[in-house]
Amino acid sequence: MIFSVRRVLLAAALMAVVTARGRAQQPATISGNVTSDAGLPLGQVELTIPSLGLGALSKDDGRYVIVVPGARVSGQTVTVAARRLGFKAQSAELVLTPGSLTRDFALAANPLQLGEVVVTGAGTATEVQKLGNVRHAVSADLIERSNEWNAVEALAAKAPNVNVTASSGEPGSGSYIQIRGQRTVGLPNSGSAQPLFVVDGQPIDNTSFSTTDFNPTDGLNAGAIEGTTQTNRAADINPADIESVEILPGAAAAAIYGSRAGQGVVLITTKHGKPGPTHYSIRSSISADDINNAYPLQTMWGQGLGGAPPGNCDRSTGVANFACRTSWGPRVTGATYDHADEAFVTGYTADNNLTVSGGNDRTTFYLSGSYLRDRGIFTGPNNLNERSTVRFNGSHRMTDNLKLGANISYVDVRARYLQRGNNTNGLLLDLLRSPPDWNNLPYLAANGQHQSFRFQHPQIGDDNLSRGWSNPFFTLNVPENTSQVGRVFGNVTAEFLPAAWIKVNYTLGADYSNDERLEGAPQPSTPPTVGGRVTEGKLINYQIDHNLTATLQHSFSPDLGGTLTLGQNLNTRNVRQLANVGRTLIAPLPYKLSNTVTRDVPIDAETVIHDASYFGQATLDIHDQLHLTAALRNDGSSTFDQNHLRSWFPKASVAWEFTKAIGERPMLTFGKLRASYGEAGQEPDPYLTSSVYSGITVIGGYTQGMGANPTQSGFGGLASSIVKGANTLRPERTKELETGFDLGLLRDKADLAFTYYIAKTYDVILLTPLAPSTGYEREARNSATFRNRGFEASLNIRPIQTATYGWDIGLQWASNRSLVEDLGGPKFVYLDPNITSPRAAVIAGQEVGVFYDVGLARCGLSPAGMGAVVAGHDLDINAPKDAAHPCGGAPVGAYYIDSLTGLPVLDNTQRVIGNPNPRWTGSVRTSFRYRKLQVAGLLDIRHGGQMDNGTKAALYAYGTHKDTQVRADCSGATCVGNEHVIGQPGSPLVGPVVGPGAGIPVPIGENWYTDIGGLFGGTPEQFMEDGGFVKLREISVAYTFDEPWVQRMFGFNSIDVRVAGRNLKTWTNYTGYDPETNLGGSVIATRGRDYFNMPQTRSFVLSLTLNH
Amino acid sequence: MRRLMMFSLAASLAVVGTVACNNFLSSDNVRLDPNNPSQASADQLFIAVQAGQFAQQEGIIALVGCMWLQQCTGTSNFLSTLEKYNIASEDTPSAAFSSIYEGGGLVDVRQVETAVSARGNKQYLGIAQIWEVLDMAVAADIYGDVPYREAVSGATTPRLDPQAQVYGDLQTLLDQAITNLGGTGPGPGVLDLVYQGNTTKWIDAANTIKARLYMHTVETPTGFDNTALNNAITYALKGIKSPANDLTSKHTTNPGEDNLWYQFYARSGFGQYVVAGQNLADLMVARNDTFRLRQYFGPANPGPGYGGQGLPPANTTSPAGVSSLTGLRNKPDFGQPIVTYIENELILAEAYFRLGQTANAQTHFNNARATVPGLGAKTIATVNDIMEEKYIALYQNIEVWNDYKRTCYPAITPYPTTTFGNKVPGRLYYGTTEQNVNSNIPNRNIQNQFGGNVVTPPPANPGFRNPNDPNSC
Repeated sequence: MIFSVRRVLLAAALMAVVTARGRAQQPATISGNVTSDAGLPLGQVELTIPSLGLGALSKDDGRYVIVVPGARVSGQTVTVAARRLGFKAQSAELVLTPGSLTRDFALAANPLQLGEVVVTGAGTATEVQKLGNVRHAVSADLIERSNEWNAVEALAAKAPNVNVTASSGEPGSGSYIQIRGQRTVGLPNSGSAQPLFVVDGQPIDNTSFSTTDFNPTDGLNAGAIEGTTQTNRAADINPADIESVEILPGAAAAAIYGSRAGQGVVLITTKHGKPGPTHYSIRSSISADDINNAYPLQTMWGQGLGGAPPGNCDRSTGVANFACRTSWGPRVTGATYDHADEAFVTGYTADNNLTVSGGNDRTTFYLSGSYLRDRGIFTGPNNLNERSTVRFNGSHRMTDNLKLGANISYVDVRARYLQRGNNTNGLLLDLLRSPPDWNNLPYLAANGQHQSFRFQHPQIGDDNLSRGWSNPFFTLNVPENTSQVGRVFGNVTAEFLPAAWIKVNYTLGADYSNDERLEGAPQPSTPPTVGGRVTEGKLINYQIDHNLTATLQHSFSPDLGGTLTLGQNLNTRNVRQLANVGRTLIAPLPYKLSNTVTRDVPIDAETVIHDASYFGQATLDIHDQLHLTAALRNDGSSTFDQNHLRSWFPKASVAWEFTKAIGERPMLTFGKLRASYGEAGQEPDPYLTSSVYSGITVIGGYTQGMGANPTQSGFGGLASSIVKGANTLRPERTKELETGFDLGLLRDKADLAFTYYIAKTYDVILLTPLAPSTGYEREARNSATFRNRGFEASLNIRPIQTATYGWDIGLQWASNRSLVEDLGGPKFVYLDPNITSPRAAVIAGQEVGVFYDVGLARCGLSPAGMGAVVAGHDLDINAPKDAAHPCGGAPVGAYYIDSLTGLPVLDNTQRVIGNPNPRWTGSVRTSFRYRKLQVAGLLDIRHGGQMDNGTKAALYAYGTHKDTQVRADCSGATCVGNEHVIGQPGSPLVGPVVGPGAGIPVPIGENWYTDIGGLFGGTPEQFMEDGGFVKLREISVAYTFDEPWVQRMFGFNSIDVRVAGRNLKTWTNYTGYDPETNLGGSVIATRGRDYFNMPQTRSFVLSLTLNH
Repeated sequence: MRRLMMFSLAASLAVVGTVACNNFLSSDNVRLDPNNPSQASADQLFIAVQAGQFAQQEGIIALVGCMWLQQCTGTSNFLSTLEKYNIASEDTPSAAFSSIYEGGGLVDVRQVETAVSARGNKQYLGIAQIWEVLDMAVAADIYGDVPYREAVSGATTPRLDPQAQVYGDLQTLLDQAITNLGGTGPGPGVLDLVYQGNTTKWIDAANTIKARLYMHTVETPTGFDNTALNNAITYALKGIKSPANDLTSKHTTNPGEDNLWYQFYARSGFGQYVVAGQNLADLMVARNDTFRLRQYFGPANPGPGYGGQGLPPANTTSPAGVSSLTGLRNKPDFGQPIVTYIENELILAEAYFRLGQTANAQTHFNNARATVPGLGAKTIATVNDIMEEKYIALYQNIEVWNDYKRTCYPAITPYPTTTFGNKVPGRLYYGTTEQNVNSNIPNRNIQNQFGGNVVTPPPANPGFRNPNDPNSC
């Protein structure tokens, strides 16, 4: 935006001077070649003659042509400027005469982007070298090269401490982004703990919503962990429309966004048209996707229990038959079926984009259309995501000092999802538990009835009977889970320059989406949907944003200049939910409420948030080397309590280009020291200060599908909400201090950046637990203090840059450690009050989000005291060792082994059993170019951070996991064989052991896995695994055809062909599908849980881009 | 032109500024929760209280009691975890503690009492007080010492009141309720889902509850307290007069208004993991108690007949196989018996029998049996005959667990655990949230001894019990 401003400033100034009237009638044609200083032709270079308001864009071969109408050619001297991101701008003067004129440009690379103007949020902009804080730029090239359909996922491994987690590889699956660690707990309605997304100056919705949350009776607000996958709404942005992404990672960078920027801000700028000939581009890519890892399942032991076949697994008797559920039966003698593989096919994603852009000196336009069709990796019609987008960006300069613009995007998303996760109608839960001797196909018996391994030989009329678990192929083919989104977002802008020293910007933006959801569960299924269930709901999200800024610019002397920006922002967000659940289908189809027998209490909810803010930012440039910035924002929000309606957010930063003082050297061409301080916050959820009664909250249910309504027998009832209205509530406030340096080394062949930050978040809003005996379960309070600190380093090296060869390498490394400094009373607070074991919590002295649950009785970890865990024993580690003090002198973590069984025992209180936060993250990026052939790759590294492998725990219990293939023989009264001493290598638990049962060999089989060794008798502690990975995110080979024959044969200037791989290989110790996954998806802040999560995919992508 | 633009700019700034100041942040429509009412009437709260109490009587505590007393058996998932007394890791029973006090529990019943007593509606007040007793009795029965006098009072960390004191307070409250029920009306009328405001039936029920609670305090370290037994007799004689007057929950077929046992079976996805307990099923088959077998259980698999599942590690099953909990009672609108005539008669039988008045005991014992089709009269040989009758009749009622703690009937083999000394636990841990916030709650290792009432010297095998349960089984 600033480019055009400068142009206009110059234009305004020069037009006043240049008054000579042209006499010649012949036009002047200026043409030439633009290359890099390495000699490589450069396309997309913007060439302008500011004095005439004319311009053009260079083609991929570097050629450009500007035609100046004869009437304006008068032999005058004009300046032609050439600029492109990543290169130092250049200008040349030439005398304008009729006829052909030639001017070539060789632009020097500008890897540090010095002198380039970047947006810094809320209408402010500055030059890169003047920035006192870190901001990460992700270019369109990198977005495109990622081949990700989701703009958030495309940011994975692109910037230090910007951690992106894809929920799964399912079509439409959401991605979660966390910057510099967890700084808030992410209350349910606040878009969790993710950064604010701003597109072209306007905040947009990036929330995720589970259809299951339309159904509080069955879901207990657990939609994040069951139901279908959820997308994140920033995925509505077509990545091909993105010109650049600026990530403001910390409070110091993001303070200008005040109380919505505590988790950072992602600024997305979409592509705009440029003056010059109309440019067409068609990009078409197709990708073949498949599962990146097969689940390890055993294939030796059949359905049954105690080594015996299950007996009758027919119809309802099978559902009631305990032995039909598990694969603890006899050795399979007949056919075995490969359940790890059978439900998967190769998925295909087709992504087509068409853009037309161009303009003249007054008007520019950019029009794009795209259609994405992602057909997932499961068989059946129900994993599909289709997205169509249209975007129009236009601007028109009405007068020399007034430019109007409009930027509108329409998105249509139609998705068909699969039930997944912690869900008895969920796909992988049904699939991976299938006994190896059971053939899941056909999923319908000859009589058309749904059959599953717990419901064999169904009969006509069995429609309304529970299947125990559904047949996975039935789940793939029959239920209908859809989302249909219509979304319009965009803005109108006005840019007004009343005088050379003042610029006024106005943006009025809106973001409206209507998401219609349907979950149609067929009659023959599994509770809670037996008999059929229809959930129909509508989610309407409407945001209006008004932003007015005025920027004043003044130079006091050549050595002292500055700017002052003043602004005002008004923002309203309105979310509406309307939903109904109907139960018991009358006819099998359609999935319509009108086709159901009973209806639940409907959902009819809305939230409205109003924000009104004022802000100002001043910059001062001293001797062109010391750059000071100070800003202040005053936020008012309807979510604050009425006595504290407004809140201040200051920031200040300093950048010193010390190479300007000491002089550039060949080794050190650029050096900048920077330090910044800023405060940013997070608004409370709305209405937390209201004490209310609820007519819809169910009472007394203890698992999904249960609970009593306050209303009974036709009489309206109201119960006190379990959340007590808060007395006072302020925004959370992150105070961040950041310092570091940027260096340009070896004549810009390398650059190095280093940053240290420490951020303290005060007044963290927790749904603080209250003693239930007070009558309330929780109350929102500003009660906690979190600290995050870390280091970020990046090194880019460009060893070879010639016309023929180019090679560059980028390394990034970042660490973050969080710490809960204070919790304001409670011993712990769960991150999400509605999620089941293992639960993530906030505990003073621990990192944010550690797993807090019951583990095994272990020396030094379990509570000490006589009988504390085990009757008659004290697990005190410091006591002298004797029979009553088995832990005396034992190493911390030694397992207590019980004399009864030779097995460990469970602890009786919760403790920290795992930590999902990675120790460090990093990436390695490289690209190599030989003439027009380019090879590029990106490795994404996450070191540490534990995952709860709940899937494994469950499959242990059901006897289908590969690890259970070697098993004791449990066909007799007791199990025999496969004996291990607990603690010894090869046994299920390795490590020191104490206690009366230590050293007793025990058989490991059904006895172990269905009890303490599995999900239903053991603890999540046993299933904490290292979630670190090294992932080959991207690898690509691209070639550009731009020879003249391309033009002759196809009518295009150039054709890019790219073959790429996405997530081709993951190296990890994690034994599930992939450590990059999360049960809570992009909905909740709890990280690191896997319970029948859908797998990730790897893809081969072929893309073709035609440019004209 | 420039001037015009400057002017319009200034004007638009002014307009925007005005809008911003004018209630933009603080008008009621952005400040107040638009989705939920901020006021509730006594009638609305009363309905929710009944919903909450039905849910409590049919909820997780009843399920735990059913499993631990081996009337039913949890075979998988969190049910098998609970079946094995693994309550440390489970948040599920923890929520039961919360619901005693929160919405639909004590906090709301107290608001009902305050509102109706301000209107002078004594009958309404009496009924609300009985609901308060039923609510808090479960708390004292299952958790022993519990917050009561300071609960829902504004205190942030309410003190634990001794269990005996809570029982005493509840007896007093019942006396007040009985008095109030004889006072001015009009009572809740049809909003009373149980007795439609019938004060006579409520007074009878209140007397049976008084008898029940006296029985909860009858156990002493050396035997039984005769005063409490006599009190139980006194009030039970004024108790529920016929099965038609039983205090039962009220349900409809609408989701959320239906029986929680039915919800658990039909909608939760976990209902299939609780099946008939072998102990109860075999007993009933042996007694030829067919009428109630059909009520309680579905046909056994493979059948024919009825049967149940034994506990791990043996996992034995009845000869006929295992029945699911799909008897005739398994329907959405089944009214779960909460306080019944049959319980009243069996309280009398037990109390008389323990006091040596066997003839009276026999009368009331036969009264109880007479209500069940197919059961004839039977002579009481031991007190276990009475408890057997109660064990079967009060299937799925929390009272079965309370009876066991006192009588050690049925003579079941607990699931072997080191933690609880191979005993059936006599209580649950306080809810994790209460434990988290309320500093008055003793640590779990202290709770393991009489719920925190540490006895010196500690008994050889304390089990996991409440103060009213001095003798382990």
